[in-house]
Amino acid sequence: MSAVGDRDHRTTYRRLLGRLPTVVWLTVMWALLWGDLSPGTLLAGAGVASLCYAAARLPHLPVRLRVRPLYVTRLAARIGWDLLWSSLQVAFRILWRPAEVRGAIVAVPMRTDSDLLLAMVTAGLSLVTGSLVIELNREQGVVYVHGIPIDSPRAAQNLRRRVRHTEELFVRAFGTAEDVARFEAAEEEFAELLRASPAPGGGHVGKEGA
Amino acid sequence: MTATDWITAVLMPAGALFTLIGTIGLVRLPTLLGRLHAAAKPDTVGLLLILVGAAFQLPNISAAAPLLLVALFQFTTIPVLAQTLGRVTYSRGESSAERMVVDELADAVRHAERDGDDETLGDPPGTDAPGRQYGQRQQRPRAQ
Repeated sequence: MSAVGDRDHRTTYRRLLGRLPTVVWLTVMWALLWGDLSPGTLLAGAGVASLCYAAARLPHLPVRLRVRPLYVTRLAARIGWDLLWSSLQVAFRILWRPAEVRGAIVAVPMRTDSDLLLAMVTAGLSLVTGSLVIELNREQGVVYVHGIPIDSPRAAQNLRRRVRHTEELFVRAFGTAEDVARFEAAEEEFAELLRASPAPGGGHVGKEGA
Repeated sequence: MTATDWITAVLMPAGALFTLIGTIGLVRLPTLLGRLHAAAKPDTVGLLLILVGAAFQLPNISAAAPLLLVALFQFTTIPVLAQTLGRVTYSRGESSAERMVVDELADAVRHAERDGDDETLGDPPGTDAPGRQYGQRQQRPRAQ
């Protein structure tokens, strides 16, 4: 697939249509910033947005998402709760013996392979207090998440579970039917692996150390 | 005082408190990654609380739009900032392995390096060559 061939196939009309959501979004922000919704403002906003679009020469990204409101609500509630709860935890540990606070980096294999969903998951994780994506191995689909405060292997296990749960919610909230199917297939595969070799603590395989 | 005043009176100091604690954490936490957590995250919650508190004092709903934008930009920029800084911190070897319960990224790096050595140099397996990929990182003690 070449970008040039792609462009030839897509007619001007479709290209403009593809730009429409971004332009509308920029216009809405413009209107919000001005604080008024009069036609003049909207027109000016649309003009500025189109101009910016033309000047920035943004690439065309195929955005394939499907929004499921029920899961989006669950996801928002989850992130909101995580944000608040882990902020409280971190705040408590900052005041109580901060010198002893320890963290951990856990490797969590991701079950989805969609670029967009992975980006959303990592951003969502980094937003929540107490977890921070350090590294993303795109080839193997593994994220490395730093968590704080973590005092025991069990807490690290908890972090792992939280990451996997967040991933699942993101996939179910925004993934296409295909994404969800792939996710479920990968999950089945993982469960199979886990049954075959029940690692102690259900943990990471291959950390025998050097 | 009306009900909205009360809500503001509760939310705003709470938000300020979160922000304050985040800043205290910046000073008192021992590791760079920990400080990153403290600097970036409780601030988000603190800012949100302050924004919601402010929203209750506005005359009408359209005046709250800029507050919404502030929250939105905070939500979109914080992950990028935290991720970039976290990555740099780790690759510079500033992640303080002795203060970590597990570090599976170090394991992965070690594995990758060993595999690379086997192919290119023929080093005996088990020869640790830290710092090939990640520059200046010093020999890290294994956290138990």
